[in-house]
Amino acid sequence: MKHILKTTVMSITILFITLIVTTDTINAQSATEKTYVKIAVDGLSCPFCAYGLEKKLKKIGTANDVLIDLDQGEATFNVSKDQKPTEEQLQKIVKDAGFTPKEITFSETPFKTKKDE
Amino acid sequence: MNRLIIIAIVSLSVTTTFAQGPPIFTDTPILLGLDGGGVRTFGRFIAKENATIYVQPVALPYNFGSKFQVGTVVKYINKNPDGLASQSGFGDVEAFAKLQLFKKDGKAKTFRVIAKLNQVFPTGKTDVNPTIGNDSWQSQLGLVSGYVTLKYGVYAEIAYNVTSNGLPDNLIYNVAFVYPLLPQKYPPNQINLNIGLNGNYLTDVSSNSLLASTGIQWIAGKRLLFETGVQIPLVEEVPDDQQTNFIYTLGTRILIF
Repeated sequence: MKHILKTTVMSITILFITLIVTTDTINAQSATEKTYVKIAVDGLSCPFCAYGLEKKLKKIGTANDVLIDLDQGEATFNVSKDQKPTEEQLQKIVKDAGFTPKEITFSETPFKTKKDE
Repeated sequence: MNRLIIIAIVSLSVTTTFAQGPPIFTDTPILLGLDGGGVRTFGRFIAKENATIYVQPVALPYNFGSKFQVGTVVKYINKNPDGLASQSGFGDVEAFAKLQLFKKDGKAKTFRVIAKLNQVFPTGKTDVNPTIGNDSWQSQLGLVSGYVTLKYGVYAEIAYNVTSNGLPDNLIYNVAFVYPLLPQKYPPNQINLNIGLNGNYLTDVSSNSLLASTGIQWIAGKRLLFETGVQIPLVEEVPDDQQTNFIYTLGTRILIF
């Protein structure tokens, strides 16, 4: 009886550890499958301006975590790598929203935002 | 009835300020980047010593690119003058077009100039007293400019309004200064102080009205804004029975989508 109990506890522990490792691996893979995008945008001078731009950026395929920093004049978001937009596409989106696109940066790792600081 | 002419002008001004943001009594040159179309509503309660008015316009703008916007405005109006029965109904339908003429963007600032054309169709009912419509075709051509930064905004507007059916043509001139009392951020939770001057020169009869305006706005969310303001006359070259001591406004602006 004691043996059965010991085996059961060990099995559950192994299963639990396997589950944690698998989840971590999946998360790590997801992170590397994302492209992080930062766009410097001129003309962002009011909250409703930011709303217009945010709406446009959210239309990009798998765009996630769209953040607009008015002080810095920047928009950041991430997309899955297979839907990574081109610089030209991003410039058009910003122009269509009524603003002036400046530097566009792509990264494999997240950008530091005010939220992180 | 004459006293209601000013009220009619105030009602008209509601639709000239339906744009997407500050200031309260002057138009803005910033055309919000719509995904094609959108729906906005800007309810406004206006009180003066001899009447109260509630106006609920619904604006349907449509953007062709980032520089050209057209749209239509339908207003539901309720007028409650002292000594007369209150009247309600749909007011005159309006169509508008806005064209961006100039834009100079910098980091967290912009300077823009737009031309705007507004056409009022006399569709509101006029067989009641007070009338809901103005019974007049009105065509307004104007320029709106603004220098807007995160720290303040300065706006100016000038427009000429051609009217029919006996109403005088008028030149509308507005300036406004908007000062955020809290740091601007996004998503917003912001309070703005508004001060300005709102002029109306009736060209056919050479009379001028100039109102000093002040107000407070609370931007409560990405698509929601509350505002209140008061306008006090500085110059009133109109007959005594058309004069006013104050115009109080309470409003909200909602971007439905």
